Amino acid sequence: MVRHTGYREREYFTMADLNALRDRTAIAGIGLSRFGKIFGISAMGFALEASRNAIEDAGVERDAIDGVLVLMPPVMGEQHGWASRVAAHLGITPSFCSTMDMGGATPIGMIQMAAMLIHGGMCSTVLCAFGCQNSPQGTLPMLFGSEFSIPYGDIGAITFMSHVGRRQMHELGLRSEHYGQIAVAFRAHAATNPAAQKRDPITLEDHQSSRTIVDPLHLLDCCLVTNGGGACIVTGADRARDLRQPPALVSGFGQVHSSEIIKPYDNGRGGGAEAAERAYRMAGISAKDVQVVQLYDGFTPLVVHELLAYGFCTPETVGDFLAGGNLGINGRLPSNTAGGLLSEGHLSGFGHVAEGVRQVRRTSHCQVPDCEISMITGYGGAPHEAPPTVAYTVAILRRGG
Amino acid sequence: MFQIDKPRPAITEDTQPYWEGTKQGELRAQRCRGCRHLWLPPAILCPKCLSEDVEWERLAGRGTIYSFIVVHRPQHPAFLEDAPYNVAIVELDEGVRMHTNVVECANEELAVGMPVEVVFEKIDDNVTLPKFRPAR
Repeated sequence: MVRHTGYREREYFTMADLNALRDRTAIAGIGLSRFGKIFGISAMGFALEASRNAIEDAGVERDAIDGVLVLMPPVMGEQHGWASRVAAHLGITPSFCSTMDMGGATPIGMIQMAAMLIHGGMCSTVLCAFGCQNSPQGTLPMLFGSEFSIPYGDIGAITFMSHVGRRQMHELGLRSEHYGQIAVAFRAHAATNPAAQKRDPITLEDHQSSRTIVDPLHLLDCCLVTNGGGACIVTGADRARDLRQPPALVSGFGQVHSSEIIKPYDNGRGGGAEAAERAYRMAGISAKDVQVVQLYDGFTPLVVHELLAYGFCTPETVGDFLAGGNLGINGRLPSNTAGGLLSEGHLSGFGHVAEGVRQVRRTSHCQVPDCEISMITGYGGAPHEAPPTVAYTVAILRRGG
Repeated sequence: MFQIDKPRPAITEDTQPYWEGTKQGELRAQRCRGCRHLWLPPAILCPKCLSEDVEWERLAGRGTIYSFIVVHRPQHPAFLEDAPYNVAIVELDEGVRMHTNVVECANEELAVGMPVEVVFEKIDDNVTLPKFRPAR
């Protein structure tokens, strides 16, 4: 019996098998629904609208879809058979169908699962979809948090991320202005995106004078509240080449659920670093090869956490990196080029998938020149529960010929 | 007048000794009799070795502030009248961390690393919440 005792021994991991998956599947279609402060449309309605848009974008026959993966809709509690219901509304009879529940890590997790389903011969074409209505009819919204935090008024993702920010300020010497640089950069990108919820440029002064929500976070450190949906179509790379769009090859992916008790407050290495290492190794690249990244940006401290975890910065360099405006389109690491959750809107990561694909298609409104390699990240799980568990997902996309 | 109560913990078999302890003025955590690991929040088995041979241990109730935040815009209406209020994560001398509020201290005085000690705040006949104040 092989005894696995810890982190180090996870080098066990069968990269040989995963390397065989490099560039073998592709995102062939992307679709977003209308999104924003839109009421009176259900989570299902948004999921269907986005799915149809993705099917049309890909130019795939609806009847070719034999796999359906759908994100558990937020704030509505458990919805039985959610993915099957989405499939039924679309007139699809899938041979594999599952509702997935990893919060903002789910879209990339679904792409990963789709790639494995296709590689394993279980499916040929997989629809990955999501819809969210934050003011659902007939459902009581759920509180995020555990019985060991909620009674103290520590409720929701924002309090967790405020703790993360506090620790970063303490350990890395960051100030609120560093976080402001993130918000300003992403808003400038959103200004180029006709669909973005927030398009008016902001300054560092605007960030500093925005009201405090949970100290140390200001309003402009926080993502938007969005009702809407997103979807994508994943299929084999060869099949994708016969469809309407240039394929975005799924070159690498990684997923880690880091369940240390309270430890996710620690910055730097951990589950995120391991997820990225897996994705880089599978794709045969390193962080320095990434030309553009869509970082899961629920709150600005999460961006700092990811810059460290994914190998873009060190604790010594991250402050200067941010102060230098390096997340902007002309910076060293153009990030969240559609505006991200902070300014485009919160589609639980499907906005990131869509923009990551546009970058390798070279159709972004905020295009990185000659883009060959684009990275997308997801973050979710249940960081606000006890014990906090964090799901990290990373995918590397490559421009397909 | 219509009033919304603050959410209270649901006490289960898994967590009952913890809440029984706070009623008696004791802060407790579970320790594995096998590997000696200590953890919070309560769970029926040791997350290190999966043993169910677990004992409850009284903690000293002293530690330092690991992180603190000040909530200005509460996510729950019952906390509106308290805002701005603090939430801290305290690292206890025994090494475990827990969420709490720091009392008897202005929010402006809070600092990472500040020594604190436990106090107990009775909510109702079932629930007493452990909170912390600056160490004396």
